[in-house]
Amino acid sequence: MSLAILGLTFVFGLVIGMPVAITLGLSSMAYLLWQGMPLVVIPQKMYAGMDSFVLLCIPGFILAGNLMNGGGITGRIIRFAQAIVGWIRGGLAQTNVASSMLFGGISGTAVADAASIGGMMIPGMKRAGYPADFSAAVTAASSTVGPIIPPSVPMIIVGSLAGISVGKMFIAGALPGLLLGVAMMVTTYIIARRRDFPRQPWQGWTELGRAFLGAFWALAMTGLIVGGMLSGYVTPTETAIVASIYALVVGAFVYRELPLTKVPSIVVDSAVSSAGILALVGTANVFGWILVSEQIPQMIASAVLSVTDNKFLVILLINVVLLIVGMFMETIAALIILFVPLMTLAQGVGIEPLHFAVFAVLNLMIGLTTPPVGVCMFVCANIARLPLAPVIRALVPYLVTNIIVLLLVSYIPAISTFLPSLMDK
Amino acid sequence: MEALIRLLRMLMRIGTGLSFLILIGAVTIQVVGRTFAGSPVWTEELTRFALLYLAGFGTGAALFSGDLVNVDLVSESLPGRWPWLMRLLSATLVLIFAALLIGSAWRFTSIGAMQTSPAMALPMNYVHASVLVLLTLLAAAAALRVAGMVTGASDGRPENPLGEVE
Repeated sequence: MSLAILGLTFVFGLVIGMPVAITLGLSSMAYLLWQGMPLVVIPQKMYAGMDSFVLLCIPGFILAGNLMNGGGITGRIIRFAQAIVGWIRGGLAQTNVASSMLFGGISGTAVADAASIGGMMIPGMKRAGYPADFSAAVTAASSTVGPIIPPSVPMIIVGSLAGISVGKMFIAGALPGLLLGVAMMVTTYIIARRRDFPRQPWQGWTELGRAFLGAFWALAMTGLIVGGMLSGYVTPTETAIVASIYALVVGAFVYRELPLTKVPSIVVDSAVSSAGILALVGTANVFGWILVSEQIPQMIASAVLSVTDNKFLVILLINVVLLIVGMFMETIAALIILFVPLMTLAQGVGIEPLHFAVFAVLNLMIGLTTPPVGVCMFVCANIARLPLAPVIRALVPYLVTNIIVLLLVSYIPAISTFLPSLMDK
Repeated sequence: MEALIRLLRMLMRIGTGLSFLILIGAVTIQVVGRTFAGSPVWTEELTRFALLYLAGFGTGAALFSGDLVNVDLVSESLPGRWPWLMRLLSATLVLIFAALLIGSAWRFTSIGAMQTSPAMALPMNYVHASVLVLLTLLAAAAALRVAGMVTGASDGRPENPLGEVE
């Protein structure tokens, strides 16, 4: 009965539109009151969830991305991407995907990517004769590469849940992120050939060199972050803060496009965004503690394993569950609630936590471009001034691409585990 | 009412920003200290405490800004005044949740007085109090949202419905 109260309160809270973090806390409170347990458990478990060494780097990485974003990097990254891939059929669409991959190495938030790249690329593509629905779709789809390529807030969260270092999680996402980006470029090429989209002339090595020099200081931040993680000299939190200071110097003094007067509000906005995530982690820790004390993860694992212990089928089942949940729920909330129960199941059939963490994040990114709550889809449709229906139709080939890459990453563990295994040697 | 909402938001944003600046300062001292001299032992602890206060001051602000994400698929698609009523019910439940826990958070804070932090020798009630701050400011933010909706000063929507970090 107490579990029914927990579940019903949770669903009720979500349906009436309560913040997910509070819904988790309120349903835990209902459970504890029903059980006659003291409510002091809630602040205590919230505190324990938020007092985590791993989570310390979240505000820094969000700030670094926001400072870079405010510091005039978007135009430079697009120019560099255009010099590399603009000559391929569907050149502007290819530029769009490549820009998202480069941007992903700096900010790691899909919504920022969709808004920044989309704000410049969607109007540009429309002017060059690309259909508006396709322009919005390619921007939305490619923006989901950002949180796979390091740095990535969802990877930090799963790292904390699975007890894997942030550095390993970031490196594990690098190959799947590149694979997803390249797969999107192939899809774009096929669409461009079929619909006879234009290509631009090769702009020459001089332009490539100039564009690279223009974007160099922005792109170097990816090197700084990955290098910091691999060096072992600085912690992820230190890397994030150093990256923030670097972004401030580049935006304000090198590119001179970040007014210092805007910095305080960027700092506070980044901190408030982080607080929203921390509150979610805190209340989810109470909810998760109840699930674990009721042995729900073990019950789910043994129920599924009693039907099948076929690894192939279990991976498929996990992916189907995550895809459905991801369509309706925000990524970080879905990860926090489902990760531990599903990891217990995954480990039951011998899936490594690191491998599982990567395909779980990759899977939940798909929900950013699917109806009914795909945030990146909304952002891009809004920029293109289109209703959702044509954008959803144009997104279908990219969703198929996403799912093919997801299956590859799910069934070939080496794509996620190869690079981190080099760190151990 | 609008002035009261602005004042609370400003206080929460100042607290959140200061906590973040302390976090940034402690980490910077840690890196610089390690490079040029010995790294002070207290920086890691101070960083963690600053993060807890960042959440303490920032959660209420996140309720206003939309960074405390929700799923409004069903509630906002209802006809007529229903979406407004759902937002009012949601804000009221946030208020009840946070207000009911203030007493428990006070108890949790008091328990902290029996411990001190290992590096800074700080009585832990000062650190546990971050959860008390979180719940009190969240209750205040929710109360102002309810009052704002009832008086017509606010429609109960967050500033940025897409405000999420993914």
